[in-house]
Amino acid sequence: MFFLKRFLGIIPMVLGVTFVAFVLMQLAPGDPLDTFVDPSISIQDMEQIRDNLGLNQPLIVQYGKWVVSVFQGNLGYSYKTGKPVLTAILERLPATLLLSTSALILILLIAVPLGLYSGYRFQTFTDTVITILSFIGMAMPTFWVGLMLILVFSIQFGLFPTSGFLDPDLDRAPIFLQGVNIIWHMTLPLIATVFGDLAGLIRYNRFEVIGVLKQDYILAARSRGISEKKILFKHAFKNACLPLVTILGLSLPSLISGSFIIEYIFSWPGMGQLGIESVFSRDYPILMGMVMIASTLILFGNLLADISYGLVDPKIRTEE
Amino acid sequence: MFQFFYLKKYYFVICFFIILVHFSFSGCSNSKPVDHTKKDQVLTLNLGGDPSNFNPVLSTDSVSSTIESHVFNGLLRVNDELELEVDLAESYSILDNGLRYRFKLKQNVLWHDGAPFTAHDVKYTFDIILNPKTNTVRRSNFVIGGKPLQFNVIDTHTIDVVLPELFSPVLIRLSTAIIPKHILENEDINKTSFNRHPIGTGPFRFVNYESGQFVKLSRNNSYFGDKPKLENILYKIIPDNNTAVMSFEKGELDAVSIPPKEKSRFQNHQNMTMYSYTPLSYTYMGFNLKHRFFKHLRIRQAIAHAINKKALLNGVLKGQGKVAHIPSSPVLWSYPQNEQFLTYSYDPDKAMELLEQEGFVKNADGIYEKNGRPFEFLLMTNKGNKEREKTAKIIQQFLRKVGIDMSIRIMEWSSFLKIVNSLEDPKPYDAVILGWGLGIDPDSYSIWHSSQYPKGFNFIGYNNLEVDQLLIDGRREMDQDQRKKIYHRLYSNIAGDVPYIFLFFPEANIGIYNYVRGLSKPGPAGLFNVIEQVYIE
Repeated sequence: MFFLKRFLGIIPMVLGVTFVAFVLMQLAPGDPLDTFVDPSISIQDMEQIRDNLGLNQPLIVQYGKWVVSVFQGNLGYSYKTGKPVLTAILERLPATLLLSTSALILILLIAVPLGLYSGYRFQTFTDTVITILSFIGMAMPTFWVGLMLILVFSIQFGLFPTSGFLDPDLDRAPIFLQGVNIIWHMTLPLIATVFGDLAGLIRYNRFEVIGVLKQDYILAARSRGISEKKILFKHAFKNACLPLVTILGLSLPSLISGSFIIEYIFSWPGMGQLGIESVFSRDYPILMGMVMIASTLILFGNLLADISYGLVDPKIRTEE
Repeated sequence: MFQFFYLKKYYFVICFFIILVHFSFSGCSNSKPVDHTKKDQVLTLNLGGDPSNFNPVLSTDSVSSTIESHVFNGLLRVNDELELEVDLAESYSILDNGLRYRFKLKQNVLWHDGAPFTAHDVKYTFDIILNPKTNTVRRSNFVIGGKPLQFNVIDTHTIDVVLPELFSPVLIRLSTAIIPKHILENEDINKTSFNRHPIGTGPFRFVNYESGQFVKLSRNNSYFGDKPKLENILYKIIPDNNTAVMSFEKGELDAVSIPPKEKSRFQNHQNMTMYSYTPLSYTYMGFNLKHRFFKHLRIRQAIAHAINKKALLNGVLKGQGKVAHIPSSPVLWSYPQNEQFLTYSYDPDKAMELLEQEGFVKNADGIYEKNGRPFEFLLMTNKGNKEREKTAKIIQQFLRKVGIDMSIRIMEWSSFLKIVNSLEDPKPYDAVILGWGLGIDPDSYSIWHSSQYPKGFNFIGYNNLEVDQLLIDGRREMDQDQRKKIYHRLYSNIAGDVPYIFLFFPEANIGIYNYVRGLSKPGPAGLFNVIEQVYIE
């Protein structure tokens, strides 16, 4: 019952989000036809296409038509390519998910222990080294890191391909070979992504650990003679991690949206490129599709989180 | 989640494993030196972005037309010399004093699915372009004076095109690629899957396209022309040109466009050759001719004399390009090769003299002013085009030198166009930097005719009665020598009026490995213009 109620609650929220997105898009100057500036293209033709695409109708009518078609299971067709929106998005989603989840896992595996260590050894030599490295990492622009990685590891040492996702020769190869090839192509973009996002998380984690270690209950634990190891991992770490989980939750949308810069430099066929291209060419149906899928996923994520809270914490259940 | 982090011992193992896995893969394909002796007849090139679709009736981007040029044919095609020659047509004749064109079609042409190509396909293609339901920007190419061209099938391999009035640029427009009627006649042309899986008559057939990754083409063994020597063409989609250049260096691409700053690095490379040519697009500074200063000819002339185009070209493109004086390129037949036309030499003193003649006096800051109003204006250009941004900055310095205070605004494309395309009169801008691509036909009615303002591409508001008439005469005259004369007069009028300051034609540099042979003469038609002849040695 609780689930059903919450589930139905998602629908008006998605409608609200998409409506705001729709209005904002139309408020931006230009429309899909405005991007043509070519003396061989006549204004009359542009008007005709604008009419065919229904861009001359009132905003609310356009939005209404979009909603009706979504409820019929059709997200529409891209203005630019005429491709069904769902196909366009599903073509790009796997590459983005692969890169972003791998990056997230790697970042957690590196940032959490380093932050913990740095915070525990607050103001020691190791902490300073980690801090300096983090700042360097934060200061380097991603596109530069990307180009340097290509220059060094791909051109100089020839270890990795410069760009791409899968060798075109392998597009009919067995799945295992394809997987291996994709991971090989993914290495450099993965390093660049991890590099860009790692430093911030280390700093954050370090700060939390320092804060927690100053708490009275840590002092109390120490006075009770509990081992440092146990204090750090059992008592301090758990609490320092809570805000981290929130941050991870907030980074969920970026798992789907992808990073344009990384994708652009490494020719990674992900959502970031699709999104930016659609913004520039004012391809409203694609943008609406992306907004809808992203908002639905996020709302579902929240719903799942709430449900799992309910499972873990009986207090929430009884209040319900 | 928390449980996971207790596995302290294991995450190092996992980390190590991931790194190990990566290196073991890279190990097996370890740095081979670039293989400069390729044997496979596969040409690997890059595309700067995703094609929008593969339907030549609908697509407008150059990426799509690159692919379409291999998959489809038109009735006519453009050769290395920028002349039209027959392609799907066997021959054509001009009847009724230029009001009817009769095309005899080649007999042995097959679509990639095996169906024969006929005059019905030609009629279908042009009829679907003329259909208002089709989302194409090419419709008005086939409407003259408000009336559409008519396409009449005479027999399966003969078609007549009937013009409502004389129109000399019609042949170049009729070179549009032809699409198959038998596949498309019962489809919605705007949404059909054909747009992603094209079937043409061209030397290469479409194999597949992976969004954001690549487009694969393979040889059409039943091609009606010379059999292509290449077996496959692979276009990798690489949006970043820096990455593309590095891929080329690594041997992952056989050819690449080399930006001016990298040219010297590749010049003496032993395995590759660099080809340079001047494409048909120029960069210009356009004045809003309704602006209170720019409506005066002498002020425009003053600005023309204040800009050193040669230095500008050196500053922006390291000298890799050609200075422009008129809206035509020396490689075109319509260019006045042996005739003088007005050019504006770099002469700051003359510029100042002209401004003073116009009643301007220099104020204490060294800026000219008239009736207490200093000579200030805003120049706009679009974001994302580094050449234009640099051009703006250099012009700013040149103008400051003679006493004109120009500020610059760089705007996002759509916002910029909204101002330029505004229907207000006068339009809300002072001057812009933009570029135009030239067609091989000199007709430029849409840019210069006074009827194309405020709605149209004459957004500067240029209005010269003689130019208007010449533009119309140029369209009606069938004889090329007569047309030459008309366009020479047109260009000298435009050069005299200075509605734009024509700046430069940027040069294109293409690096190609020496094992790629059979290239066509470097020129605006590209190096792979006759793709059938290209091969790998």
